[in-house]
Amino acid sequence: MGNPFDVIVVGAGNAGLVAAANTAKAGLKTLLLEKHNLPGGCATSFRRGRFEFEPSLHELCSVGTKERPNTVYKVLDDLGAKIDWRYEHNIFRAIVKGENGYDVTLQAGVDEFCRSVDRAVPGCEANVRAYLELKPKVEAAIAYIYKMKGKPNGLTMLLKHADFMRLAGHSVEDVMTALGIPKAAQNLINTYWGYLGVPTDELNAMHFLNMLYDYVNDGAAMPHHRSHELSLALADVILQNGGQIWYNSEVTQFLYHEDGRAAGVVANGEKLYAKEVISNVIPHNVFDRSDPSKIPEQNLKLANARSFGISVATVYLGLDCTAEELGMKDYTVFIQSDPNPRVQYDTRLEGGLYIINCLNNAVPDSSPEGTCTLFFTIPIFGGDVPAELLPQDYKRYKNNIAKKYIQDAEQVLGISIIPHIEELSVATPVTFARYLGTPEGTIYGYRLSGWDNLMARTAAEKTDYAIPGLSFCGGHYLRGDGYSCAYIMGDTVSKRVVARLKGGT
Amino acid sequence: MSKPNLNKLNPMDFTKMTPARQAIIEAAPAKSVPHTGSYKPNALAMALHPGVQYLKVTKITTHTGGMKSYDLAPDPERGTSSLAWFSAGQYLSLSLEIGPMRLTRPYSLSSSPRESLQGRYTITVKGVEGGIASRYILDNWTEGTPVTASEPLGTFTYEPLRDAPVVVGIAGGSGITPFRSLAHAIADGDEDAELILLYGSKTLEDAAFEEELRALEKACPRFRLINVLSDEAREGCEHGFITAGVIQKYAPAGEYSVFLCGPQAMYRFVDKQLAALKLRRKFIRHELFGEYFGPEKEPDYPAISAKSFQLTVRIAGHEQTVNAPAGISLLRTMEQNGIAAPAHCRSGECGWCHSRLVSGQVYTPRSIDGRREADLLYGYIHPCCAFPLSDLVLEVPPVKTSP
Repeated sequence: MGNPFDVIVVGAGNAGLVAAANTAKAGLKTLLLEKHNLPGGCATSFRRGRFEFEPSLHELCSVGTKERPNTVYKVLDDLGAKIDWRYEHNIFRAIVKGENGYDVTLQAGVDEFCRSVDRAVPGCEANVRAYLELKPKVEAAIAYIYKMKGKPNGLTMLLKHADFMRLAGHSVEDVMTALGIPKAAQNLINTYWGYLGVPTDELNAMHFLNMLYDYVNDGAAMPHHRSHELSLALADVILQNGGQIWYNSEVTQFLYHEDGRAAGVVANGEKLYAKEVISNVIPHNVFDRSDPSKIPEQNLKLANARSFGISVATVYLGLDCTAEELGMKDYTVFIQSDPNPRVQYDTRLEGGLYIINCLNNAVPDSSPEGTCTLFFTIPIFGGDVPAELLPQDYKRYKNNIAKKYIQDAEQVLGISIIPHIEELSVATPVTFARYLGTPEGTIYGYRLSGWDNLMARTAAEKTDYAIPGLSFCGGHYLRGDGYSCAYIMGDTVSKRVVARLKGGT
Repeated sequence: MSKPNLNKLNPMDFTKMTPARQAIIEAAPAKSVPHTGSYKPNALAMALHPGVQYLKVTKITTHTGGMKSYDLAPDPERGTSSLAWFSAGQYLSLSLEIGPMRLTRPYSLSSSPRESLQGRYTITVKGVEGGIASRYILDNWTEGTPVTASEPLGTFTYEPLRDAPVVVGIAGGSGITPFRSLAHAIADGDEDAELILLYGSKTLEDAAFEEELRALEKACPRFRLINVLSDEAREGCEHGFITAGVIQKYAPAGEYSVFLCGPQAMYRFVDKQLAALKLRRKFIRHELFGEYFGPEKEPDYPAISAKSFQLTVRIAGHEQTVNAPAGISLLRTMEQNGIAAPAHCRSGECGWCHSRLVSGQVYTPRSIDGRREADLLYGYIHPCCAFPLSDLVLEVPPVKTSP
């Protein structure tokens, strides 16, 4: 049995898997508990007929290659997780409908990216490049802050890292405007807001740069066999290193010692104890399953101050024709009704922005010969689900969403999709609430609002997470900007736990 | 012209972020967070997918042909106060304890989805030869019997964006059940389709729900019923089997979808008939194939050294070793040994029994292998359609009781 354990990790999402892999690999007696019968959270897949779809995670940034590994590649590679990575060079095709519309494809690689933006909005190449070139300055500043253990000298910051402060203290659009990037070029680049769920007049400029730079530099990477491959590879690392994974084992209660320190959890009606608990589960759900007297006041205030981040509606289609026959040449297309991200955000329920992926254009054998798949992502919030929606009307609600976006795509792309639908599945924030268990079906956790941005979260980490013996990791933790960061957060947090339990640094 | 720079922005704004955030947090109440189930998407998810439903039998109707229908109502004493909505064509996976055995069986809901709002589901059970569960239910269930069921499951449903506007339903025996539900859903306005139902029985006597469906046919112009009788010539009915000719006779001129539900022998026969009609694959949909027996008959079934093997099952830190006969699915072997293992469709499709093969080899017939691609890389199997070829160690998730 092994009870008590050294470490119990709650939730086998991306971060939980990496965390448990790290602690097991360090020789700590590790138990990973997962409420579903599969690992991965959003990094999984499901079958419909002869097709295999991914619920949401379909690609990652910050991966890179064996020769030029980026953070995600390194985290997985260091653990010994073997992933058959595939890559996409084009960043995206952005289509804006209507009179002010455009149809532009941006390419990966710093030079190619800047030039492709310049071709669409002539004369802005140097300005766009200036934004990307802030990346090394960010790294230098972060390295300094890290070296100073989070307490940097104010004067040194101002003298040596002023541009970092300007970047990290303002929104994407403020910084881009200061750099002289024309509005049209800003809109084009900022198409990516859809992946973070916060429009770029609010989103922190440093945070967006981190994601954009990695997409530009590395392109997008995806595992050959859908993201289920990623999760099983990590599960394998845990098991090969003596860790245990219990599926269908939801944690119903978090246990604490008298002095407030985390003691363990209850799962399958059994009390399970550990020296350290790592939660991939969002603080809201942990607090909901804890003795309220054990939650520090500051942590409750923070939870109540926050709102939930983006969820999605998604449409999965298995088509009985090839991508070529369909006339779909691109891997990622963003379709927008207006060039401005804030307008797209405000009109998100009327088709402000949605994304279509055709995985066959990046991984040709991702569906059987003679077929292809399309995957629609529509960023909406759980709070956008109509309050009056009844269970008996839910199927119609889902199908109306699917129909609206498929028909729009047919018109915009000039292709015929519906007659080819052999398999179809539709998900909404309700689906994500069901599978992830997060409040409002949020995918990345808490909204990355102007005040609750990455830097401010990082600076307050110690007071924000004040329960001894209980660490958090996942999208809801510091970064909240997509799936890649969950792997990285799982790595960072679990290495601290290993250091605490094994000594050393 | 100077190089683009950020000089217009005040670096000191950076230092205001933390105090501004702290002020917002300070202003928030230190009260408990709302229960997760109180948010709209979570509450709706819970209503649609409660995981487990505790029910009780409220009424039993006996049909000819060895079939009985069971009306099921929520059992508030065990924690279920209302029934989850479903789409016509979905099934309930029942959890049964029969003597020392713990098993599950899928049964299509034969009632109208609307009836679930009044607290009524109906399932219809036919006694099959060697059928442990069906026999047990037919012999033992009475009014008041408690029943533990899953939430509604399965994808044998009408999808307007995928399927043709007209469905030719092909039912055999108790395979009438999902079509009864679909016919009512069409009549109730919950599904926007037309259903032409070819119902195969030995004699008209054996056709279940005949009177009710005839009445529905009169009331709903979008539903038509044709009895196809193998052993009886009768006016107004087709005589013989459901052949390509019969299908063509009743199918519309344009595109139509064919939905099939019946015994495996019917699938084998009708699939051959359908091949002659050259329908596109997307227009042919089968209900669950049903449990697979007799892997020995497959051409790629390997030669094995023994008639039975040792199966060690690990479930959430507990371990048990049992005898596993070759030719019996690992799921059946576990159930017969009283090991509760998760399972729903029992046809290789739903993946609910997804388990990790720690060591040893199994055989899975290709025709019912519904695993994900990466499962094959890491040795995961569906025990409902995996047969032992050696001694095995299998890691199985516990049966889930939460949604």
